[in-house]
Amino acid sequence: MPEIPELAATVEAVLAVAGEPVTLEALLAVVGEGVERARLEEAVEFVRRRHDQEGSGILIEHVAGGWRMATRPQHEGALREYLGYRSRARLSQAALETLAIVAYRQPITLPEVNYLRGVNSAAVVRTLLERKLVVVAGRKQVVGTPLLYRTSKEFLIHFGLPDLSALPSPEEVEEVAGEGPSEP
Amino acid sequence: MDPLLLTAGEPVGPAVVLPVFEGPLDLLLHLVREEKVSIWDIPIAKICDQYHEILRRMEQLDLEIAGEYLVYAAWLLLIKSRMLLPRHGGDEGDPRQELVVRLAEYERVKVAAAELAGLAELRRGVEAVRFALPAAPAEVELDLEDVDVVALAGALREVLERHVREHPAALHLDPIRFSVREKIVELFELVSRQRSFPLLSHLLTRPDRLESVTLLVAALELVRLKTAKAHQRRPFAEIYLTLTGEPLRVEGLTDA
Repeated sequence: MPEIPELAATVEAVLAVAGEPVTLEALLAVVGEGVERARLEEAVEFVRRRHDQEGSGILIEHVAGGWRMATRPQHEGALREYLGYRSRARLSQAALETLAIVAYRQPITLPEVNYLRGVNSAAVVRTLLERKLVVVAGRKQVVGTPLLYRTSKEFLIHFGLPDLSALPSPEEVEEVAGEGPSEP
Repeated sequence: MDPLLLTAGEPVGPAVVLPVFEGPLDLLLHLVREEKVSIWDIPIAKICDQYHEILRRMEQLDLEIAGEYLVYAAWLLLIKSRMLLPRHGGDEGDPRQELVVRLAEYERVKVAAAELAGLAELRRGVEAVRFALPAAPAEVELDLEDVDVVALAGALREVLERHVREHPAALHLDPIRFSVREKIVELFELVSRQRSFPLLSHLLTRPDRLESVTLLVAALELVRLKTAKAHQRRPFAEIYLTLTGEPLRVEGLTDA
């Protein structure tokens, strides 16, 4: 039975070559027989803490249902310099609003998005599809069978969310939004 | 215009730069907040003026966007007119209800969008780490017992087909063994020996296919040159060649 530090080193090696979130199930499959889930979770936590404590430029993050090795945000300037980026294009207000609607109401059709935003959002949705932040999730069985959209794995990675339940809760959003439709 | 690009700073009018709004709902929400009025007491006339102002500045812009503002302006006026009419009983509901609900919904969308923007901002510079691997993954070792015979046969067929595809058969050219000109002369002599010459039996008895073909072309040439005539009583019956009396001139003929 491998010790936690040894297991942790294996996990680290796998994450290093994966380049994308690796689920606990996938990790379980590679560490060999007889390793319990809880021990593996402990091992993942071990690598994560080690990277945090050693002041490493790399972190282990829990996103999109798995674990992923990524660079730390404080080195953005250095990375940009080295890679020769200008700056990664931020999402526009229209894109953020549309993403927010899709994220909280998925699966949702374009007409429904248009209704909530009060403007036609076809072009925005198309761009979000191109950036793989939303994906098509079938068709709604209503007149015209419009396409349904939902957020993608890429969406979770982009915003650093382990899963959709990690989105700010509607109650939290409500609190910030303030005055609701209370009766006059 | 790419909707994902920030449009702040885009000149909307000659001198005044208005804040950029994501459509009529956004502008409405902004005005309500700015005027610090309850969303139940929206000064509709004032808002319509604002819409009109926006439209005036956008005259040369997108008709679709202008249409969105017009729809809202019309809706607001409808609400206003309903408010002015005396209400019959309590079952009609407040004409402002839907507008209030939509504004509140939209405000929540804006807050959620801001939350997302905040999350994304925290993650600038977070890039996936992936140690470079050799371009091609190492050859997977296969246990022979695991190899499916059908799959193997399929793989072989594929290899063979690819081989054929990539190595098309070379164009094979045979040397010319019979010349039409020779055959014309030969046929002319044969036909001149008898009144009518059975061409078909002659062709069918040649030992060499290529010779038959050349002879047939030669026969056609003779007919074309009006040196001979061809007769056939019915389809597939014997074809007889007879000379017309025209002299044979082979000077202009090629050998092909």
